Amino acid sequence: MNEGKNVEYLVGKKAKLDFVLEPFSPKIINFLDDLSKSLDNEFNNKNFPDLRALSFFCRKNNILNLRDKHQNKDSIRFGLGLLFHITPSNIPTNFAYSLIFGLITGNSNVVKVPSKKFDEIKIICKSINYILSKKKHFQIKNMISVIRYYSTDQLLTKNFSAVCDARLIWGGDNTIADLKKFETKAKNIDIPFSDRYSISLINSEKLLKLPDYKIKNVIKNFYNDTYAVDQNACSSPHLILWKGKFITKAKKFFWDHLNNLVQEKYKSPLISTVDNHSKLVAELIQNKNIHSFKKFDKSLYVITLKKICPNLFIEKTKWGFFYECNIENLKNINYVVNRNLQTLTYFGFSKKFIKTFFEKNNFKGIDRIVPIGQALNINLIWDGYDLTKILSREIEIR
Amino acid sequence: MHFLNNLMNQNAYSLEAVSKFKFFKKYINFLTTFHYKKSNLYKSYLKGMNYNLKKNQNLSDIPFLPVRLFKEFNFLSIKKKEIFKTLLSSGTTSNGLSKIYIDKNNALNQIKVLQKIFNNLIGNSRLPMLVIDKQASNIDRKSFNASIAAINGFSIFANEIVYLLDHENNINYKILNDFLKRNHKKKFLIFGFTSNIFINLIKNINIKKILIKDFSNAFLVHGGGWKKIEEQKISRTKFNLTLNTKLGIQNIRNYYGLVEQIGSIFFECKCGYFVASNYSEVIIRDENLNVCKKGEKGLVQLLSLLPTSYPGHSILTEDIGEIVNDDNCKCYGSGTRFIIHGRLKNAELRGCSNT
Repeated sequence: MNEGKNVEYLVGKKAKLDFVLEPFSPKIINFLDDLSKSLDNEFNNKNFPDLRALSFFCRKNNILNLRDKHQNKDSIRFGLGLLFHITPSNIPTNFAYSLIFGLITGNSNVVKVPSKKFDEIKIICKSINYILSKKKHFQIKNMISVIRYYSTDQLLTKNFSAVCDARLIWGGDNTIADLKKFETKAKNIDIPFSDRYSISLINSEKLLKLPDYKIKNVIKNFYNDTYAVDQNACSSPHLILWKGKFITKAKKFFWDHLNNLVQEKYKSPLISTVDNHSKLVAELIQNKNIHSFKKFDKSLYVITLKKICPNLFIEKTKWGFFYECNIENLKNINYVVNRNLQTLTYFGFSKKFIKTFFEKNNFKGIDRIVPIGQALNINLIWDGYDLTKILSREIEIR
Repeated sequence: MHFLNNLMNQNAYSLEAVSKFKFFKKYINFLTTFHYKKSNLYKSYLKGMNYNLKKNQNLSDIPFLPVRLFKEFNFLSIKKKEIFKTLLSSGTTSNGLSKIYIDKNNALNQIKVLQKIFNNLIGNSRLPMLVIDKQASNIDRKSFNASIAAINGFSIFANEIVYLLDHENNINYKILNDFLKRNHKKKFLIFGFTSNIFINLIKNINIKKILIKDFSNAFLVHGGGWKKIEEQKISRTKFNLTLNTKLGIQNIRNYYGLVEQIGSIFFECKCGYFVASNYSEVIIRDENLNVCKKGEKGLVQLLSLLPTSYPGHSILTEDIGEIVNDDNCKCYGSGTRFIIHGRLKNAELRGCSNT
């Protein structure tokens, strides 16, 4: 393969990348378990909560659980072949999850990591290289190549696109449009992770029934879903829908305490001040559905909408800029649902209720419905795609 | 606007601090009410903020439009048929162009005020001007981009204009030598964007090709910042010193202004500070948009008495600046003095967009 001049191999320069396995192969499970242990040894300092989460994901028990959930023992499946992962620049561990999904499904992988040199990427690649140096993982050595080059170096993107069997395109609409310019094999499958937005649904009665410390815990989970990624992840909520009898009181508690957390923990650059103020002014100028707004802090703006109504358009926001609205009839969620709505995080509803409700209503959007606090927990089913199925092929035998 | 007429007979920096403040406060409030009545978009903004129009508000309480919204909205305080020309920003980073709509009256005031400010600096007579740029071709007289608007604006102070660069952006030494031959013995102007001055007069120029290397009568005026060559930025001292040692240019003045507030621009004084004239004021704001103390860095808010055809009299820029307190500086009367530290950095967001 032709290589551009400015490519840096973080893992697997000489990898053959032509090897496939069955999904959830014991070889991969052992490899991931070793990776988990190695990661644990690398970061005793606990400075990287995202690495802790990654290591936790890779544990044998977790992968075995996933296997039990996703694997149909009667079918014979193998990985598609070579996956080309184009991973986003701003979540340091995202490339690792993308790679792990590729391995679990039995594929060889070329992973393009962001040009920004995150410490997490360095640590993860160091761990992978260390484990791959062990004899027992010799086959997996040929399944992983992690590379770094600038997106402007299009020759590499072109070459990998031409030979791969599937592309996992993270990074939103612009990246997807860029990648679509390059030719792929006829049978190549593109899995685009496009720009999405997300909302929350909170039952005010259930919230206020909790003791204060538990309410605060819910709010802390909400904080983690949003502020850990500057509210800029697709799955961080932008609109909060309030249900129940004690909405006013619940809102006050919720926003006041969230504001405390923001004051205490959240740091943002000066441009966030301009972004949020500009967004507010633009909304005041053009949005006819605003009841009121409150600026709690430079990083916590809340716009209260008059009502949930058809064509309620919510633009993706960041830096702690939220919309809220009361919802009496849950069916009206339909007004905010479209194909760009990814995650609904909820509190105060049972899983059973949620399941029945969404089973009955044929909404055209929402790919994830998870309790508040799990918005960012990435998994094998993501963005509406069941990756275990899409990234492997089934051999039909009669 | 009637109140501007009274000022036009005076030097651009004539007002003392107390009377400037009183005068400025009164007419900025006047303009806020004026635009509220004339521009529906501006009205929605003030209504949304629950702004009290009846009160004579302090300068720091005047609402400020974020500059990027001129890209998103068409702000007009005049009827569409009254648009005389449209200014477009050169749009460095974000998508879209700022669109500033000017009627005849507003255009006239911009020229008058620019002239008053400029006269204070170089005197009343027109001078030969060497523009460090290429001549714009096919100028649409109705719609200008910011750089053409600036060159046009300054060209009224010239009795002769030549452009240093050819259409491939190379220095035309014949033009330069002819210009110097004609003009080096008397005062002449050099005008250009800071980035163009840097690229051409500091980096690219070949001194050996200049026949009469005499810039001792030159008065160099530059502005517009570093824009696309931010990574090559050098300090003001180094910039001026290099032009001095390399070409012998002694008089160098930077100006600062927005296309949204053309006319009421800020010229650097000899001490290196931008100074507010009778027509303009500056406020620095911190991360919470509260007013900074003198000497504290923050976001630059600019106020101008000129915008009447669009609500641009109070704007929050995306520049970082600081008001300086230097009692030793006696240049240009008592206007607020400030320095600019550059543009706000685009943040590296966490989140899943962009590779």
